[in-house]
Amino acid sequence: MSEFDIRWQAGITRAREAGRRDETMPHGFATSVLALAQPSASPPISLELVWQRLTFGVLGVIAAALVVCAALELPYFRDRQPLEPGIENTVAQLVWSI
Amino acid sequence: MTDEFDLESCLKRVLDKDQTAARTLVEQLYPLVIRIVRSHLPRRAAEEDLAQEVFVKLFSRLDRYEARPDVPFAHWVSRLAVRTCLDALRAERRRPELRWSDLTEDDAAWLNFLVAEAPADPDLPASDARAIVEKLLAQLAPPDRLVITLLDLEEKPVKEIAQLTGWSSTLVKVRAFRARRKLRALAQALKETDQYE
Repeated sequence: MSEFDIRWQAGITRAREAGRRDETMPHGFATSVLALAQPSASPPISLELVWQRLTFGVLGVIAAALVVCAALELPYFRDRQPLEPGIENTVAQLVWSI
Repeated sequence: MTDEFDLESCLKRVLDKDQTAARTLVEQLYPLVIRIVRSHLPRRAAEEDLAQEVFVKLFSRLDRYEARPDVPFAHWVSRLAVRTCLDALRAERRRPELRWSDLTEDDAAWLNFLVAEAPADPDLPASDARAIVEKLLAQLAPPDRLVITLLDLEEKPVKEIAQLTGWSSTLVKVRAFRARRKLRALAQALKETDQYE
């Protein structure tokens, strides 16, 4: 044992003599622990719920796209030929081939 | 824990979500937990917050506890508390540097004794010895601080420290040896700062 170790042990022995501090539980401690330890009140999100939310999201996006398309088309509503003939023919051919 | 306290029945009721039993368990374990937390408290942490963290972990892992004769419940709780404290100590980004000017006159008297500049230990209250010991231990790395606190300050046997920390007995002894060597170097370095101030 080195000189330091001997002196350290003497210091530690003296330090151990220091009395124990108050170990009384503070008021409200148990309540706050139990509140923190409680599992969260909201139920776990099921796969079905996730799918439902996703579906609603997709529907919302489609509805918004339709509204935008309708708004773009509105100025040509009274026009007898809203689409150029070329485009009209291409679309008709595509639909026919499908 | 008090003798008349029926731990087995209390644990069963806690697992059945009985709030009164959970409150009783906290009351019974508080002295044990707060003693461990105070011994291994990071400098900037509040002891109540760390004790609360220990209890929250305890309740979340209680279903994993298996009553065995070789692992009493108090031991399981101590292990959980020690590991939580060790994690908190590791999370402390940097340990504050201790300088001679930070010491009180009584601290300095103890330090002079430790570095063999004073022939006999100063006749000062035990609380002063405790203060300088804690200041020096706070300078060590978390595992070193933990091993010296458990071995020297709390006089726990090596086998029990190995169980509490999950380290092997050999590792505990090696860590304690190295930690004391670091302490000596720290005390000497601290004494040297006195010469420059």
